[in-house]
Amino acid sequence: MSETSVADPRVGGPPAVSVHAARLEYGGVPLFDDLDFTLAAGRWTCLLGPSGVGKTTLLRLIAGLEPATGETRIVANDGLALTGRIAWMGQQDLLLPWLSALDNALLGAKLRGDADRGGARRGRAIDLLYRVGLGDRLDARPAGLSGGQRQRVALVRTLMEDRPIILMDEPFSALDSITRWKLQELAADLLVGRTVLLVTHDPREALRLGHFVHVMAGRPARLGEPLAFDDQPPRALDDSRLLAREAELIRRLASAAEAPS
Amino acid sequence: MSRREEPLGRVSRLLAPSVFGLLFLVAWEVLARVNQIPVYILPGPLLIAETLWTDGPSLLGSLWVTLQIAFAALIAAVILGLGLAIAMSRSRWIEASLLPYAVILQVTPVVAIAPLIIIWADDVFLSLLICAWIVAFFPIVSNTTLGLNSTDRGLDDLFRLYKATPGQTLRYLQLPTALPYFMAGLRISGGLALIGAVVAEFVAGTGGSETGLAFRILEAGYRLQIPRMFAALVLLSLAGIAIYAVLDRLSHLILRRWHESALPKDR
Repeated sequence: MSETSVADPRVGGPPAVSVHAARLEYGGVPLFDDLDFTLAAGRWTCLLGPSGVGKTTLLRLIAGLEPATGETRIVANDGLALTGRIAWMGQQDLLLPWLSALDNALLGAKLRGDADRGGARRGRAIDLLYRVGLGDRLDARPAGLSGGQRQRVALVRTLMEDRPIILMDEPFSALDSITRWKLQELAADLLVGRTVLLVTHDPREALRLGHFVHVMAGRPARLGEPLAFDDQPPRALDDSRLLAREAELIRRLASAAEAPS
Repeated sequence: MSRREEPLGRVSRLLAPSVFGLLFLVAWEVLARVNQIPVYILPGPLLIAETLWTDGPSLLGSLWVTLQIAFAALIAAVILGLGLAIAMSRSRWIEASLLPYAVILQVTPVVAIAPLIIIWADDVFLSLLICAWIVAFFPIVSNTTLGLNSTDRGLDDLFRLYKATPGQTLRYLQLPTALPYFMAGLRISGGLALIGAVVAEFVAGTGGSETGLAFRILEAGYRLQIPRMFAALVLLSLAGIAIYAVLDRLSHLILRRWHESALPKDR
């Protein structure tokens, strides 16, 4: 596919990630068979498609949470292993209810047992929580935060991992439109230059944030030629290109939903 | 129009049971007096209160003996119950091997096996402790096991992605998840430990030099000192209520910062 040639100009920057010949069965029915998919280095790739087509499964496969079978190969183009270079943000905030917002943001480091010399990491977490507007809620438990605030803590936790590859599974879908809009803006801003895969149900979200927007359809699932953008997200909602492309994207999704499975 | 009215306020919630209890006691007293029921069949509440006042101090020593057994059994149930639940959550083999026996212990009436235990254990205190422990043990094991296995699947994935060790997953994810379940089990076991201690004392009959409250009840029954029997029963009930209240309060204090059960409903 064409986007494989989009390489990150910086040396040692985030790698492109390629999925080759992915195969996965659920109860004898192949969800993927010989599926190829590429995440361009340092770019946002968005994945749309009907429910149950396997978007989340593909994301979990890349994260190593689903066992790869057959000829499946998932590699980074810099030749290094993927393990330890992926951060994940799910549909639910997945915060630990017994930890404060700050401690949730620091969970990854705590589990790795990294020493926080001079409190630098703690300082960075506090700084990021301020940036997402939660500077006065550092000690709040998730139960005391709104859905949007919890998802912002989850975003900070994802950022604290400081990984080159970010996988996001409908991270903003449960939020009201204003909060979603703000968080899209924030995520695009804070994740600039990373290799991002965003699974979403919202065509407009994909068009606002993606460099490449794929539609996944069929059983076994196939990916069509992506819509490509060469400017930097996030795009303004009144961007005239978005309206034209949204119409095309919805046409594609509609035909994907009708595709024989 | 709703079938039920507004939720009760704090004062009403205390007032309603107090008024009901008072009416019940008054009716009891009136019935006992009007029908001239003999005190060896049903003493009135005033006489019971008087007996509690006069015999209370001598009964308190016995209450202390019973409470010691109940507390020791509860502590043993917590330690062994937690240990077994953790072991069973770590290994399907251990769970498959041990869980049936925990269930057998639970479903066998303790009254039926108490005589055997009293024969096998040399020490009276120890045999009473084992009986009370058998009763108190199961709610902690089954609740904690359920809690340890109830972790959110998304959080399991997150911990896998973070490459958490099994020990870290236990400490930072499974044990906190299981805490509310454990506390619910503990509240049940607290009352059961007291019941277990009393049942075991009933079976053991005599408790040697130090006798528990259950033996006092039996003794008073033999001597037809029914008011004293009721006084001992009242003490026993009060002790059970106190144990429940303390454990309930403890649970609330531990969980109030984050768990749904302890958070205000209308946020």
